Amino acid sequence: MKKSFLKTLLGVWNTKTVVAIAIGAALFGVLMNFGGIPIYTNTRLTTAMIVPVIVGSMFGPVPAFITCFVGNTIADLIGGWGFWFDWSVGNGVLGFIVGLLPFYGARINEGIFKPVHAVIYAITCIVGNALAFGVVTPLMTVAFYGGELTITFLQAFAGGIANTAVLVIIGIPILYALARRSAHSTNLKMEEEKE
Amino acid sequence: MENKLLINLIPGDTFLHRLTGKTKVRTFIVLLIYLIMSFDLRLILPLFILGIIGLKSLKPAWKTLKYFFIIIVAVNLLNIVLFWLADPDIGAYWCGGGHTVLFKLTDRFYLTAETLWYLMVRFIKMITSFMVSVVFILSITPSELAAGLYSIKVPYKICTIFSLAFRYIPDIGRDFQNIKVSLQTRGVELDPKKASLKDRLKQNVLILIPLIISSFDRVANISNAMDLRGYGRGKTRTYYSEHEELKADKAFKVIYVALLLFCAYWIITHNTMPQDFRMWYPFA
Repeated sequence: MKKSFLKTLLGVWNTKTVVAIAIGAALFGVLMNFGGIPIYTNTRLTTAMIVPVIVGSMFGPVPAFITCFVGNTIADLIGGWGFWFDWSVGNGVLGFIVGLLPFYGARINEGIFKPVHAVIYAITCIVGNALAFGVVTPLMTVAFYGGELTITFLQAFAGGIANTAVLVIIGIPILYALARRSAHSTNLKMEEEKE
Repeated sequence: MENKLLINLIPGDTFLHRLTGKTKVRTFIVLLIYLIMSFDLRLILPLFILGIIGLKSLKPAWKTLKYFFIIIVAVNLLNIVLFWLADPDIGAYWCGGGHTVLFKLTDRFYLTAETLWYLMVRFIKMITSFMVSVVFILSITPSELAAGLYSIKVPYKICTIFSLAFRYIPDIGRDFQNIKVSLQTRGVELDPKKASLKDRLKQNVLILIPLIISSFDRVANISNAMDLRGYGRGKTRTYYSEHEELKADKAFKVIYVALLLFCAYWIITHNTMPQDFRMWYPFA
């Protein structure tokens, strides 16, 4: 019984997903502000990056995207460093890529997370950061703010490295823990989901 | 510090509080576009003054706000210092290529009048944008936020995400305090006088793990409660918090439409066409 491609991509949009995204976004916003150490202008080594790992592994890439996008907007709202929607989009894309877990077989909900998945996950995190902050964010910066590219690249470089570190060093143990938590249901079959 | 977050759950009774969520959200979005589009001090300064007036009219708890303002000013000052360290000549790019050196530390680190101007405008812009968001946050409740977003055709599940996230922020603060207190009863030293700064930082990170887990554990409770109240049945949604438009709402409508047209004009003439100066610089 395999879920269709689109369904895995979008996630199931029931009330549970909506609430999980909302709580994830709130946590992301608060952790961006209070749960980090500044390393460069407007850039932090932030624990907020754990949130898309959890949302992505349980609900899929698109919910992870929305979590990061809304979360970063909320962080800007209470952070007072101005509004940088280029970064919201960049963080969203990163969330999306981190949330791709089910596509290479790491089904956390069913307790499947093997070392090979951890390796793929680490590689996706690096590629994802490079793509999100090396390509998408500068593109958005030009589109929204027209310039400030030097700063964006420097910030992106610092932020990308910090994010990768958090995603890999804290993310992998969390994924293992989450997988172990739901492992007891591996030999059970899921009934057809009702929406 | 986390218990001092500024989210309102009950609408207040000042002029700005009484506007509909629709007006608040739309005005806020237009003001954001207005703020993002330019680095022109002539545009930012009036909004800065309006922000102060708006904030005063809301009669906020100044004690809490003072604390926030100190942090924001400190963070932004740190930011502009880092900006200057990254590129001391950044003003030349923004103000048309001049290098009026005010003083020189080394060959790498010098201060030009243009850079000083750019950093000052940037600082005022960031403070203004913080002021606009504080006025917005203080004047709106989570349901009004959802209603306002719904009025600009955002799908209502996304509106719910915004309002729930907004609503959940004070809860995070409360949970953080609870976990901290329960860790202290188990003998973890978090007292500033007894534990070193490094130890306290480490302990605070340890609080985050139970905080994240307990937050996600609550998902099932909240979503069941919402399902029981019939959430997500209909295709559209109406909001109880949204009342009929008052006279002030109509006045605001004229203002935000006019401002939006001005923004469109400004973006077309200033942001898409090449300029001699990227920002207004009176001493060029």
